[in-house]
Amino acid sequence: MKTGTKKVGTTLGFLALAVAAVTVALWFRQIDQVDIPEDKTAYVSFFLLAAALGVGAFVAGTRWFGGVAAALAIIIGSFFPFTVAISRQEVAADAIRVGDAIPAFSALDENGELFESKTLAGKPALIKFFRGHW
Amino acid sequence: MQIVTVCADTPEEIREGRGKHGLKARMLSDRDLAVTDAFGLRNQGIHSGPPGGAEALPVPTSLLIDGDGKVLWMDQSENYQRRSGPEVVLAALQKHLD
Repeated sequence: MKTGTKKVGTTLGFLALAVAAVTVALWFRQIDQVDIPEDKTAYVSFFLLAAALGVGAFVAGTRWFGGVAAALAIIIGSFFPFTVAISRQEVAADAIRVGDAIPAFSALDENGELFESKTLAGKPALIKFFRGHW
Repeated sequence: MQIVTVCADTPEEIREGRGKHGLKARMLSDRDLAVTDAFGLRNQGIHSGPPGGAEALPVPTSLLIDGDGKVLWMDQSENYQRRSGPEVVLAALQKHLD
């Protein structure tokens, strides 16, 4: 009987890791396509499910390799919801608003050539601030 | 119309990353956040810059400006895992420039 329960726990451990792995894979695919949805409830649910299954594996009793899988699932399953929780951000009170004139600025472009904002004068332009490629 | 992007990567990092977008844009390097700060767009929330990179990052923001440099429209993400999608920007272009 004892071996039987361990089998359930070990299976749960691997199931937990599988759920975590698939969710992470989808997450990075969407990140790569710059397509992560605003509402991340589904992602958070699946990550927490993976963590819960991992805990379940330990509760049911698991063999060591099931335990490793379950532990990984718990780590992944709690880390990603944590990053979601801290990803909110805000700008300073004096940040630019609609109706403001943009400040003059200059910076090097991707080829190391100087760009000056005055070259934008006379026609509309789109300026995008983003977090970079890391 | 001209498209300019600003991020805290170095010019080399931008060159390596630009294949991801296929963007026809002037991509500016703002490692010291001077441009980001001039616009007041440095993130004040909890977060860190990339390891070994800039000390902070801009809040992802799209700004549409007219020929006089006035902001006609802007879209800002409250969450750094999200940027304005092409459909949002295109809709704004149509609304403000037609």
